[in-house]
Amino acid sequence: MKSSTLQNCSKCGLCLSVCPTYKVALLEHASPRARLQLIKYYENSELISSSGLKEIISKCLMCGACAAICPSGINHYSKFMEMRTKMAEDHGEKIAIKSLVYLLSSEFRIRFAAGFAKLGQRITPQIIFEKYDLGNIPLKRFPKLNKKPFRQAVAETSRSEAGEPEKGNRGNVLYFTGCATNYLFDKTGFATVNILKSMGYKVIIPEKQTCCGIPMLFHGAKDKAKKNILTNIKCLNPDSFNQDTVKAIIVDCPTCGSALKNEYPALQDDFSPETAEAASKISSKVIDIMSFILQESDSTNLAQSLENLKSDNLKHDSRVNQTNPENIEPQKIKVTYHLPCHLKNSLQSPGNSETILKNMPRLDYIRAVDADECCGGGGTFFYEYPEISKKMVKVKIINAKKTGARIWLTDCPVCRINLSGNLKESDKLTVKHPVEMIQL
Amino acid sequence: MIGSKTKELLKKIVGRERLLDQPAELLSYSYDAYHEEAMPDLVLFPETCEEVSGIMKICSADKIPVTARGAGTSVCGASIPAKHGIVLCFSKMNKIVEINTKDRYVIVEPGVINIDIQKALEPFGFFYPPDPGSMNVSTIGGNVAQNAGGPRCLKYGVTVDYILGMQVVLASGKIVNFGSTNVKDVTGYRLSSLFCGSEGTLGLVTRIILRVVPVPETIKTILVTFDDLDNTAKSVSDIIGAGILPVAMELLDRATINAIEDSARLGLPREAEGSLVIEIDGVKEACEKEIKKIYKKLEANNAVSIQEAKTPKEREKLWTARRSAYGVFAKLAPDLLSEDVTVPVSKVPAMIRKTVEITKKYGLKVGILAHAGDGNMHPMIPADRNNIEQWENVEKALVEIVQAAIDLNGTLSGEHGIGLAKTRFLPLVMSKDDIEFMSVIKKAVDPDGILNPGKFV
Ligand SMILES: Cc1cc2nc3c(=O)[nH]c(=O)nc-3n(C[C@H](O)[C@H](O)[C@H](O)COP(=O)(O)OP(=O)(O)OC[C@H]3O[C@@H](n4cnc5c(N)ncnc54)[C@H](O)[C@@H]3O)c2cc1C
Ligand code: SF4
Ligand code: SF4
Repeated sequence: MKSSTLQNCSKCGLCLSVCPTYKVALLEHASPRARLQLIKYYENSELISSSGLKEIISKCLMCGACAAICPSGINHYSKFMEMRTKMAEDHGEKIAIKSLVYLLSSEFRIRFAAGFAKLGQRITPQIIFEKYDLGNIPLKRFPKLNKKPFRQAVAETSRSEAGEPEKGNRGNVLYFTGCATNYLFDKTGFATVNILKSMGYKVIIPEKQTCCGIPMLFHGAKDKAKKNILTNIKCLNPDSFNQDTVKAIIVDCPTCGSALKNEYPALQDDFSPETAEAASKISSKVIDIMSFILQESDSTNLAQSLENLKSDNLKHDSRVNQTNPENIEPQKIKVTYHLPCHLKNSLQSPGNSETILKNMPRLDYIRAVDADECCGGGGTFFYEYPEISKKMVKVKIINAKKTGARIWLTDCPVCRINLSGNLKESDKLTVKHPVEMIQL
Repeated sequence: MIGSKTKELLKKIVGRERLLDQPAELLSYSYDAYHEEAMPDLVLFPETCEEVSGIMKICSADKIPVTARGAGTSVCGASIPAKHGIVLCFSKMNKIVEINTKDRYVIVEPGVINIDIQKALEPFGFFYPPDPGSMNVSTIGGNVAQNAGGPRCLKYGVTVDYILGMQVVLASGKIVNFGSTNVKDVTGYRLSSLFCGSEGTLGLVTRIILRVVPVPETIKTILVTFDDLDNTAKSVSDIIGAGILPVAMELLDRATINAIEDSARLGLPREAEGSLVIEIDGVKEACEKEIKKIYKKLEANNAVSIQEAKTPKEREKLWTARRSAYGVFAKLAPDLLSEDVTVPVSKVPAMIRKTVEITKKYGLKVGILAHAGDGNMHPMIPADRNNIEQWENVEKALVEIVQAAIDLNGTLSGEHGIGLAKTRFLPLVMSKDDIEFMSVIKKAVDPDGILNPGKFV
């Protein structure tokens, strides 16, 4: 197969300086440069396929740091994804990963496996567990399932589409919720919707949306991913909302965001021309919620703009007020932050969440020294290679604790599960999405 | 090949998990940033000097080639195991042993990454001056073995100027120490200078004592443009000639500036034929005085514009422009050749003219980038290795550029080293006797030639 870009890797090694797996292992074959070289040797038939090779290729967080720094502009993602597909064909996938890919490829199957109707939220369904489980996160540190899938719950509360704007009407935004908000973190979803409404937007949550497909792509199941991708392109296509233009497509998960922004358009050769066009239109409108808030705020008086977004009572979840003593305290809440790799490297909007946190009058933001270092979560990396992942997350926790903050904010659900899953009761840190702080 | 018995002995020293022997793993150690490749038979990761010594005893008994490796960023192929055998990778031998800013030194193991030394010194208000472009990834062991330099070496000097002492394991496995933690020390030969720049052919460096210096009080950075490349280069030699020693003087030509603007839009003047990033540092008053003198020289050479960085952010922007040059050119074609010939600073204008002429003759693109203050040229030629005819032209141009530099009393390499890349050019700058003298030294320390064989000695 031809490589996905014309550029050659010059083997300069600069990507070693940012690769989380290299930095932990200090082994060349744990580096992006080696992965690219080995793919080249394999394509030139100088290296035969082996389970060892497969392991080297998949012991990668797909964090995108290498591509972001590469002077030659190599598209590591596409190369790695292609190779993952080949390796999965040659050597199969772990059963757990296989069934995960099978399940995520259909919204119906996810719902069915999750068994919302019967199980309630006490039992973490196998499917969610497999998607997000860190090999060694104890079950009780795993997030509880939403009582109802968020998209269903929000539709019921507002009876129609998610919400009419509260003041003025600045247009429509689409909200792509991702699996995590839908099944695990509904507070993030409600906060996002409320904020968008108080900014004056009408929030449309397309009903047919489904898993963004990244987990399948990462595990070499491109065919299965494609089905989801086509479904999503169809229901997010800005042109299909003809009454009003769509101002933006909002994501709260940076990984979903990078899928919509980068991976969908990158697959254009596999699409019909119309689909390819829709994909690039979607891509141009995708923005993460925190960047959107910042973009729409008055930059000369950010603090006030942010205060304006505060809601007097949290409409959808009054429990927050009672269980969060910080709310009652008039003094500032100490928070710290973890920058997810996909925000830093793929959406290229690092720093926006931090800017907001710094400017919120009610918060005391203290930066951890390694705020922008990878936490080792990376898709299902933490599930497959817990030993490396564990090392990375431990350091993150030590540095977060040093800040003295009680709340640890991060935009990415996988980081969130990884970080909170590895915290102990005694660490006295709670992990949340930064959007949840705005309406407190 | 390495016999199974020998392998067992080596495994006993480093343990199973610090030994690699699987094809995919070995292939990962068959290359560095140069374009040739050679497979090692084994890769070992020592963590102590004693382990290195033990390994060398076995290897010298069996005459097994040993090639040291840091991060594998050598651009001349110095860390490629040309004659196979063992790659001894120092990435895991990476402790900072001591930081002593009172006595102005640090002691480090070879696998420590350059930037980590800088980070460790920062809280003390000190720094370690050599700043190769690869400083975020290359190891201090590799820096020492290549005598690495960087932009600020114009004022501060290169790696060798900062080595106070070192510990070396010889081919025989013997451990020797030279130098001390004293900033002045003339006890015996200055052998650390011999091992520095030896590209791993004389011994394995297992510990280094480095001199460090305090961070200067003031830094001033300016971006100057000219409508003539000759004037640009002449300003450089005029400033140096006037006895001013800036930290750095980086030159970029029109092609380079435009390529940067195309990709990054930093607001650089596209019509400028040449520009300079000049930085000075020191005591505030001295800086003020010096910058005035520099302005005078620039004006005398018809500088079109001078832009001074007012804030650290603005300074960062000027350096970003300079640093992005390599990446910008790397994206212009599938491959990029970055040359490293060096000429006396007064010959910089002539060397630039020559380089442009040669590349034009062969129909190649070129961007001129130079640590101009010390005459270290980095012309960048984007091309496609798979285009056989074009690549042949690149090779021919390279030979002519090297010859042109030598004709101007220049030398083969300012900082990238000889390795596999430039061995064939050695006779152009060294006599038979010169080369033989190096061989005499090599034979004395490594009689069986097991250390990094296949390289320049
Ligand atoms: C993008 C880029 C920019 C660069 N910029 C510069 C620059 O500005 N200035 C500059 O001088 N160089 C530069 N280089 C070249 C290179 O980074 C330097 O030569 C660097 O010092 C190599 O360090 P390393 O750790 O990668 O060593 P390696 O490449 O692994 O090894 C280099 C040599 O050192 C030997 N060696 C390594 N460790 C030891 C040890 N412990 N004992 C004995 N021998 C040892 C190896 O055998 C080999 O011969 C650049 C390279 C790249 C790719
Ligand atoms: S930074 Fe890019 S060109 Fe350099 S080694 Fe990594 S992938 Fe190759
Ligand atoms: S995606 Fe991340 S983990 Fe994977 S090779 Fe690149 S930098 Fe390393």
